Amino acid sequence: MRTPTPRSPRPAGARLAALAALLLAAAPLAAADFLLTTTKPNQLHLVDAKARATVRSITIPGPGSPVSVAASPDGRIAYVLTNRLGSISGIDLDSGAEVFRADFDEPGKRIKGMFGMDLSPDGRELVIMQAVTRLEQVEMVVEAPRIAVYRTDAGLQAQPDRLLPAPRRTVLLLYNDAGDRLYAVSWDIEVLDPRDGRRIETLKAMNWERPNYAPPDIFGVWGQYEQARVFVNPYFALRTDKSPDDPAAWKTGMLTLDLNSGEYRMDDFEETAAIMFSSVVNPVKRDEAFSVYTQLTKTDLANDRLVQRVDLDHTYYTINIAADGSEVYLGGTMNDIAIYATDTLEKIGTIDLPGDADMGTTWVRVIQR
Amino acid sequence: MNHLKPLNKKARLFEQAAAAGRSDEVLMMQSVAGCTTTLDPGWEVDPFGGVAALCQPMEADLYGCSDPCWWPAQVPDTINTYPDWSNGAPSAAQDWRKLQSVFPKK
Repeated sequence: MRTPTPRSPRPAGARLAALAALLLAAAPLAAADFLLTTTKPNQLHLVDAKARATVRSITIPGPGSPVSVAASPDGRIAYVLTNRLGSISGIDLDSGAEVFRADFDEPGKRIKGMFGMDLSPDGRELVIMQAVTRLEQVEMVVEAPRIAVYRTDAGLQAQPDRLLPAPRRTVLLLYNDAGDRLYAVSWDIEVLDPRDGRRIETLKAMNWERPNYAPPDIFGVWGQYEQARVFVNPYFALRTDKSPDDPAAWKTGMLTLDLNSGEYRMDDFEETAAIMFSSVVNPVKRDEAFSVYTQLTKTDLANDRLVQRVDLDHTYYTINIAADGSEVYLGGTMNDIAIYATDTLEKIGTIDLPGDADMGTTWVRVIQR
Repeated sequence: MNHLKPLNKKARLFEQAAAAGRSDEVLMMQSVAGCTTTLDPGWEVDPFGGVAALCQPMEADLYGCSDPCWWPAQVPDTINTYPDWSNGAPSAAQDWRKLQSVFPKK
């Protein structure tokens, strides 16, 4: 019987190199979180979140000041509402070139984009909420608001592919994961068919039928739901069965809408003790929500309770979160993005954006590249 | 209108139109043809009756509230009428001295 000849062992370095090559071939490099936001007068910034560094700043053509920000699904193109709410500019984040431009005004009509902006999950269409005013000789006539749907390959003189009727007061537009529902966040959340604007159903918010409660106060103009794919927004409500000078009459709660399952909830979690402008859900621990204004608040959505609240250095409007759920990014208002650990709410970093210019009402989005 | 009494001809016409059901629906907030059409006067006190829950510092809030017409009474309309009001002053906290009053063009 022939004894097998042992193979000569490969050097350890060569084995590691072979393993690395195999891993590289089998899976793409792990994507990192990048923040996408803007400052005055019309600057777009791409920020490496974990490196705490701005890797690219791009001047958007034309007048500012930028507000709504959305990215293509592959993270290559940023779409920004700018030009005094009058245009959307699409910027290639690698070349810095403008590859999409939609200027809203029409002859005799002044048209403004009112915050709500989103891309379809396949990246082929972009929706923007528009307020239309007809300019007459001696008067301005308010026309019906609308949702303009653009094809993202429409180039630099993009015209709407179609116009959909929109509920008045709509401030946010959100696609569901399947792309067959468009949520228009107004006094209630109207669920629309993005093909023709047909109303599928209404998720009640301001018009809730909750005994002993006045209609809630809900304010939200920031799109920051991409990590957990959950739209969350704080609300404030007054109990009508208690005296208005009783602190227990004032309730703060969270409105949550799961953009995958469609689950919709509005639940109180505390007697109102702080203002909160906007919120984000942890994509890893999905019962955790973080809200921001002059304090940073952590809420347990499963048990509807306040977990922790800390004071901030100044007011921030917007908040977004890392893909691993470890840290939140506070932005808007001034020039800095503040970074806080989600487990302790300790401040663990700051990113000062180039140009020392204010972020204002802008959105802070997270993309993977 | 039970508590208001028209004092001139135009006000009487308003009252007659309302009584006859000929008044148009009032639409605001999303008709940003000029900031004054949004009719959002801005906060003077916070929901608790004080000022501690307003944005801190005030400069953090200035452009966030003026650029989208939230403060049409306090700052110029930068969307339509005075788009260059904050040019050269990108940081409200550092550049506020450069922000000037505006006056209608003759």
